Amino acid sequence: MSRAFDWLDKRYGLTPLVDFLKHKEVPVGGHSMVWYYLGGTTLFFFASQVCTGLLLLLFYQPGEATAYESIRFITTKVPFGWLVRSLHCWSAHLMIVSLIVHMFSTFFLKAYRPPRELSWVTGFVLFMLALGFGFSGYLLPWNELAFFATSVGTDSMKAVPGIGDWLLQVLRGGTDVSAQTLYRFFALHVVALPLITVGLVGGHLLFIQRQGMAPAMGTHVARRGLRFFPDFLLRDLLLWLLCLILLATLAVSLPYGPGLPGVEWELGKKANPLAPAYPGIKPEWYFLWVYQLLKEFPPHILGMEGPQAAILLVSVMLGIWAAVPWLDRRAQRDESSTAFSDLGVAAILFVGYLTLKAWDIGGKGLKVPDTFAVARATSIITVIVAAAIFALRRFAYQHRFFLLSGAATLQIALHGFLRVSYLNAGIVSVLLIAAGFAYLRLRPGPSVPPRLGVAP
Amino acid sequence: MIALALLLAAAIEYSAPLKQFVGAVGKDGKPVLTQGQLHTLDGLPEHTRELLSTAIDNQIIGSAKHLGILLSVDMPAQSLALVAQDNCVLCHTDPGNVKARSLFSPDPKVSNSNPLLNLTEFVNDTHFRQGLSCSGCHGGTPKDESMANEIAQRWPSDPGLRHADRTWIPGFCARCHSDPAFMRGFSPAMPTDQLVKYQQSKHGTLLLGEHDSKAAQCVSCHGVHGIRGAKSRNSKVYAQRIPETCGTCHADAQYMAGYKNVNGDPLPTNQLAQYKLSVHGKALLEKGDLGAPACNGCHGNHGNNVAATAVAVASFSQACRTCHPTNASLFEASKHKKAFDEHQWPACEQCHGRHQIMKPTDALLANEPGALCFDCHAKYSKENLACGKTAAHFKGALTQLGEGKAELSGTVEHLAEAGLDVEPLTGVIGELSEAVVQTRTRVHSFDQGTFDSAATPGLETLARGRKLVADARAEHGFRRKGLLMAIGSLLLLASGLAFKIRGLGSRASDDEKRP
Repeated sequence: MSRAFDWLDKRYGLTPLVDFLKHKEVPVGGHSMVWYYLGGTTLFFFASQVCTGLLLLLFYQPGEATAYESIRFITTKVPFGWLVRSLHCWSAHLMIVSLIVHMFSTFFLKAYRPPRELSWVTGFVLFMLALGFGFSGYLLPWNELAFFATSVGTDSMKAVPGIGDWLLQVLRGGTDVSAQTLYRFFALHVVALPLITVGLVGGHLLFIQRQGMAPAMGTHVARRGLRFFPDFLLRDLLLWLLCLILLATLAVSLPYGPGLPGVEWELGKKANPLAPAYPGIKPEWYFLWVYQLLKEFPPHILGMEGPQAAILLVSVMLGIWAAVPWLDRRAQRDESSTAFSDLGVAAILFVGYLTLKAWDIGGKGLKVPDTFAVARATSIITVIVAAAIFALRRFAYQHRFFLLSGAATLQIALHGFLRVSYLNAGIVSVLLIAAGFAYLRLRPGPSVPPRLGVAP
Repeated sequence: MIALALLLAAAIEYSAPLKQFVGAVGKDGKPVLTQGQLHTLDGLPEHTRELLSTAIDNQIIGSAKHLGILLSVDMPAQSLALVAQDNCVLCHTDPGNVKARSLFSPDPKVSNSNPLLNLTEFVNDTHFRQGLSCSGCHGGTPKDESMANEIAQRWPSDPGLRHADRTWIPGFCARCHSDPAFMRGFSPAMPTDQLVKYQQSKHGTLLLGEHDSKAAQCVSCHGVHGIRGAKSRNSKVYAQRIPETCGTCHADAQYMAGYKNVNGDPLPTNQLAQYKLSVHGKALLEKGDLGAPACNGCHGNHGNNVAATAVAVASFSQACRTCHPTNASLFEASKHKKAFDEHQWPACEQCHGRHQIMKPTDALLANEPGALCFDCHAKYSKENLACGKTAAHFKGALTQLGEGKAELSGTVEHLAEAGLDVEPLTGVIGELSEAVVQTRTRVHSFDQGTFDSAATPGLETLARGRKLVADARAEHGFRRKGLLMAIGSLLLLASGLAFKIRGLGSRASDDEKRP
């Protein structure tokens, strides 16, 4: 073994790399270690995607006459083909879940603060790419649900100002979803997106290896560390094994998903472009909040088309999210910034409420549920969650800034309990935020900007 | 409000006669035309507004109120254009011109006029929509400005005379409807033999032969001023409305008193109630299956007949045969045909009933008290033991097929939820459903060999389905065992790793203790 290493070392100079690994440490203390493993679990699910995707590629044939048939062949005739497809689908959803938790943990720990801005930005782009994987992969079975969901999903591209129609044509390869769309989505899913993703994952990992993992707030350098190799890596490996057990159990027990709208992949009927779209088609769960937001907008608003305004709002929100390392000045100075923690909670409440509403929680399983009953039921759940988060932040972390999460909760309460339209409730909340910031800016006090909270 | 009305008038550029009515104000100081009526007027094509303007100019539309009545009726612009050119309609819709009893009104109850003079119904009448208006039946021309003598002669003003003797109605409608050349100009596909059929029908012989004006004629079923095509849901002869239309008379015991069957019994009036409970009634009225027969499905439309004589018995079975040809053919070739003919029993009706035909069940098949076959067989075929065995054989096979199909259908959903390939099983269930239908149909042969020609393949299909279920369950078991083994191996590996990490953890602590 050592002779082989010597042979390689002489040619490729491996000793510095080994020394780097020997001395690499993961910062310990300040906050729970569990958040450091979420990037690893996301990577594990991505690796599962690559492996199962390759196996599916052995049999999958894109094309109007072959896509559905080949998936059917994989799940019914290929030995363990059903398992490979189920693993692929489950790991896709688990990867997104892991990614979201990883992203929010990074956000709340302020790990995006300098000098790790690019780690945040590459992570954000990787999140967008993961959504792109989900969207492009959804159409590939060429079944009824995928076809109509893609029709609805791509249709929202029209709302992009100026280039909407052109973008729609590029994405679909024509005016309608057709075999051309399937070819494009296939190329995106198995060539373009994986290439970009592998490159970005490489960059993301390289940044982390160069800079190390972010220590807790207020400590530029961790007081002590855990050796990366083998201590941290073995712990990572153990977690991956547990993830594999979870993945296998879910894939075998629920091969078509848990049966929730947006989290199911039963093949069903083959797509028929001439058939009328059936009601109640919904996108995958991680797009549901955008889907619901589009529904909340009227056909025309502020001289724009409703969907256009909704997509603009989503773009602005995502833009703010991506630029957080530069917006959070206090975190840049390694100071507590509970206002941004509050922004994260507000984002969770905003996205969570819309997702629950899109799921028709409280609709009693009716095909056309009572919208007020749904709004009310989802409001009750979200307000309870908001109250629990408030209590946790106020009493466990002594946070004192709740303006943004409070405004998000107010919007939900006004809409769900008082039947104020979602947009009007949103306007009231925005006015509240503006008034709150104006008060904080103008109130008499020290000349230095007020501390918005206490460090956790 | 007035200013708004004038503003609208200015925007549209009304002609002078229209402008005068648009701006008209009532005694209470409010505009006569409502916002809705003005909106309707604005939405009309210019040509239609010109026609209304001409009618106002000619004083046929006599007041703003009269114009408002016409604009308040929900009708397309084309219909309003026809109304504006028809002096009969225009005069008879003007409350200032005719008495209430001859006034066409959008709501006769409000205007206290004759319920048959409903303007909304009239403008939707199929005849009116094709350009045949008042003068088509009553005489005169749409351009006449007063009631001509010809009209009065043709249409006696005393309604009592018209109502007492209705024998004139079939011939009156037939002037057009029995003329193929004339009808081709309106509805080329419509038959023109209604009068001939009606004359031969029971209704026709009562009305035309016995001058019984209580017997149904054209308007009894089709209505008067709001006649729609039979495919219109608002038509009294739309498939789903036929039972109620026939029931208007036939379910009215008082109205039907005195009418008798050919055997002299009073004509029953429970047919409608029975039909609603029947498999046909439920299919048509509850499930909306327009292919299911209503009264006319068996009795015919215009040439209705009563199934009572020996000839009619045979024709009655022919009515069933229209939709159930295989059952009828099998019965024709069976042993029962001869026996039924000897007893002059109607074929289908004898077992299935007449108006209250229920969905047959396999439980009916047995030669024992309470079963369908028993009453006749106990009386006429007591010594033939083979009949009982045949019935038991039929029932046994059908029970097996029915229970087997239910068993497979219940299993398939469970297997699909477990992620197993159920397409072959779904195919088998489809075959089995067809086999059950075919086997039940062959009961009408009353022959074991013919019956088995469908039952045996059905039972083979059932066995194939059960084998598929067993295979799928075995596959499911294999998957679960495989998962358990994989989880076991992974947990073992994870435990080893956990021990290793624990060892490393203590060593790391030792490292920390060093200075």
